[in-house]
Amino acid sequence: MELVESLQHALPTYVNVYIAVFRYLAPALALLILLRAIWPLISFRREPEIWAWLCMADGKKHAITHWENVIGRSKRSDVVIDLATVSRSHAVLTRYDDGSWTISDTDSPGGVYVNGKKVRIRALKEEDVITVGGMDMTLQPISQKQARHLAQLRTKASSFSASVANILMLTIFQVLCCIGFLMTGAEGNGQNYLIGFGGIMLSQWLLFVFYCFIRRPSFEVETIAFFICTMGMASICTVVPGEAVKQFASMVMGIVLFLCVGWSLRDLERAKQMRYVAAVAGIGFLLLTLVFGRQINGAKNWIVIGGLSMQPSELSKICFVFVGASAMDRIMTKRNIFMFIVYSVVVCGCLALMNDFGTALIFFMAFLVIAYMRSGNMGTIALACTGLGFAGVLALKIAPHALRRFANWRHIWEAPLDGGYQQTRALMCMASGGLVGLGTGQGWMRNLFAADSDMVIATVGEEWGLIMVVLLIVSIAALGLFSVRCAAMGRSSFYTIGSCTAAAILIVQVILNALGTVDVVPLTGVTFPFLSNGGSSMLCAWGLLGFIKAADTRQNASFAVKLVRRKGGQDE
Amino acid sequence: MNRVAKRAGAVILLVVLLLAGLTFFVTEYVMQAADWAVFPGSPHVYYAGNMGIGAVTDRDGILLLDMNDQREYSSSEAIRKSTLHWIGDENGNISAPAVPNYSSQMVGFDLVNGLYSYGGAGNVAELTLSASVQKTALEALGSYKGTVAVYNYKTGQLLCAVTTPTYDPLNEPDLENDPEGRYEGVYMNRFTQSAYTPGSIFKIVTLAAALEQIEGVEQMEFVCSGSQVYGVDQITCEDVHGTQSLKDAFCNSCNCAFAQLSGLLGQQALQDYVEKLRVTEPVSFDGITTVAGNYQAPAEPVNLAWSAIGQYTDLVNPCSFLTLMGAIAGGGEGAVPYVVEQVGNGLSGYQAKTQYTQRVMSTEVAQIVQEYMRNNVLSKYGDDNFPGLTVCAKTGTGEMDGDRASNAMFAGFVTDAKYPLAFIVCVEEGGYGRATCVPIASAVLTACKEVLDH
Repeated sequence: MELVESLQHALPTYVNVYIAVFRYLAPALALLILLRAIWPLISFRREPEIWAWLCMADGKKHAITHWENVIGRSKRSDVVIDLATVSRSHAVLTRYDDGSWTISDTDSPGGVYVNGKKVRIRALKEEDVITVGGMDMTLQPISQKQARHLAQLRTKASSFSASVANILMLTIFQVLCCIGFLMTGAEGNGQNYLIGFGGIMLSQWLLFVFYCFIRRPSFEVETIAFFICTMGMASICTVVPGEAVKQFASMVMGIVLFLCVGWSLRDLERAKQMRYVAAVAGIGFLLLTLVFGRQINGAKNWIVIGGLSMQPSELSKICFVFVGASAMDRIMTKRNIFMFIVYSVVVCGCLALMNDFGTALIFFMAFLVIAYMRSGNMGTIALACTGLGFAGVLALKIAPHALRRFANWRHIWEAPLDGGYQQTRALMCMASGGLVGLGTGQGWMRNLFAADSDMVIATVGEEWGLIMVVLLIVSIAALGLFSVRCAAMGRSSFYTIGSCTAAAILIVQVILNALGTVDVVPLTGVTFPFLSNGGSSMLCAWGLLGFIKAADTRQNASFAVKLVRRKGGQDE
Repeated sequence: MNRVAKRAGAVILLVVLLLAGLTFFVTEYVMQAADWAVFPGSPHVYYAGNMGIGAVTDRDGILLLDMNDQREYSSSEAIRKSTLHWIGDENGNISAPAVPNYSSQMVGFDLVNGLYSYGGAGNVAELTLSASVQKTALEALGSYKGTVAVYNYKTGQLLCAVTTPTYDPLNEPDLENDPEGRYEGVYMNRFTQSAYTPGSIFKIVTLAAALEQIEGVEQMEFVCSGSQVYGVDQITCEDVHGTQSLKDAFCNSCNCAFAQLSGLLGQQALQDYVEKLRVTEPVSFDGITTVAGNYQAPAEPVNLAWSAIGQYTDLVNPCSFLTLMGAIAGGGEGAVPYVVEQVGNGLSGYQAKTQYTQRVMSTEVAQIVQEYMRNNVLSKYGDDNFPGLTVCAKTGTGEMDGDRASNAMFAGFVTDAKYPLAFIVCVEEGGYGRATCVPIASAVLTACKEVLDH
């Protein structure tokens, strides 16, 4: 406490020197931390996991590298059989959590035979002969021993020491931030700064210890999330220091949700069942808001319970991803996504009634990603986009405040005291900050409405500089790239669709928030994941990160991916 | 799975969109951040409508204003009063846009550091004004309203530009309650923002036009019987000047002779020549654009005559007229005045560069005008009023409507190579130009000479 007090009463000279040094050190440290976290995510060697061998009658062996594999004539199939008798997508070979396999027919004209019997779907036993388009084949799942051997050969995601080094650097960064705020902030806020930064620090170490305990030392996506949370805390300490503790509590709840989502995805069958619960919950949250919601700042998406306000529509995003994700057998057999479209329309309808344009747009983009990944049909996408165009025009006619935002887009300097007030100030503040910022607590942006939420990027830009803003945006882009890279080794399309949709939602939020603040796109008032002040937004961001984590099949990377079991039942 | 993995590329599209948007913004940032940072309304830069950071000094480094914490003015009341209209007041009532024009240099903006400066101090703006000459000019003007300005017509530096009435920003008088009108128009910088009826100083324009347009005009004789009759109207002179050459008529400021010249020139030629001399055109420097003057050559001969002697609807801005003096002194072209010499230093700083007017008259005509104006000082105004200086000048009396006394005007320049100074003195309701303005110009030019000698 003595140290805290001496920091709070430091001589102006010391404070000035500290700011002068830290403003260069902060982006340098951030660059180092994020590069070390991002680089493995976008450059890792994509090593397929081998689950079984498909032995053809002609003696050829196909490695089965996913849990869901399409057998067909099409070149895009996982197992390509170039015979005229084989349909383009003929059958789906699926592995289950317990190591069992099924084969299912995708309503092909030729049909699928097991031991000479035509089947629709059938669990496979050893030595079963599968016949597809006249071609006989047998499935040889790899043995436990082979599996262990293959697992040992695979490169581990991230070493324990690399993760520790990164978390250590992040910790140093957080300590330096906290010192900066103690020196420049109001004396009465000392406790908020300590709990805010200290809480994040403690959470990241606890989570890592837990990861070590379950032997998953990879911590890259978490490092990114914790880093952005730290910058969010820095904005809150500048704008509303009193809310630091609340934000920390939200982050802890977010991490719990992250672990819950990961856990529910650990078992694919369980995850598939969760879809129905999620479907009901997703709509339920929205209906609840519609009935009991309160209108704040133009949108009726807040529920206030005992002084605590929350936006259930944020949680609906997680439910929506659950509902949209789908396994391959289902994708191949039920090609139309009619039910999902109906579900999406209901969700968007609820959001329209709430007058929440930004969130509706995020859901729509998530819908597009899911619809495309499931159907691969550009026609559906084009139709949906046209629909959105009409709905958008209609919405603009009905909601004058939305129209005003569009009217100001790229014209903010013409109305700096009216429609362009917030954004001109935001740009002025970001320009004031230069590349490395004015220093902790030195900004003016805090005086502006939503400086810690919708316009948070300007607060960061002013106090921490443009480099920091670019790093934050690039970090989220890196999560997107990571999801795409993981897709090639995805075990199930359920994970791949889930992870890509989650990443898409995060990216769209950043596009709307960050690029909206700086007038590149119209301002819609959505949050920046992990960065903006707001409990529901924080929960949602961590929940979505759970989907991304679950698709990470690198060796020893993700708690949401089960490892190969040893004989004694321990994970390998 | 392969096909789902391929379709995951849809997310790449979003990543590309995000990164493209980011690149677009960063490009905009690099191009425009300097403007964004200092946009009017930035609390980092402005305080109550005026600059809120940095310091302002005169040409010799004498502090005029330190804006870093509170607005701290010079310790001398006379300096505070005489420079108020260039550095602004506490409440932003007086618009002083010259220094804020360099706000990004003032706050030391650069792309890397933004507006950061160690400890929050800004840069120093050095004005071309001399605090000591400002003080002399303020004292010379006394209780008159008006403006006095002197500039170096070779470089463009304004050594002096005082406007009255003014007040002490540290001791603001009750401007609302001013029954005698002592502070009428106090918020206005008269040098840049007013336009006066020029009176006889406008004869310089008519003279130049006649020298260029009327062949053999110097050899012509002009007869003055005290008045020039135009039907029921007439133009009058103070005296009966008799028969005189053009040079004498100019020296006598003979209205009748210039009325005759206007007849010889005609409406169109006068109009064209006023435009050529740019005497009614605004002058722009340091983010300031002066008000425009007015000249409309009328068709009626009597009105055309009035317009040729600086009455009728003629209006000139002191700064524009001063620039014309500079152009004549410079042999047909001169420097454009400016007031901010440099702000900060290094790459992000600003250093003034001399801008020149267009050529407004031929060197030959400029030389004859110089000679005539020199003759005025030698014959009429008294060369001993300007010791050590070769002054060329013309007085004027701008007659006002109603009971108001005339405006006294005096404009000219010094031809010594060591003292390339042009000047203008405008005194509202000052009566005769010669009686009121010559002593003021004498005091101010002497002070300028001292500064240049120093």
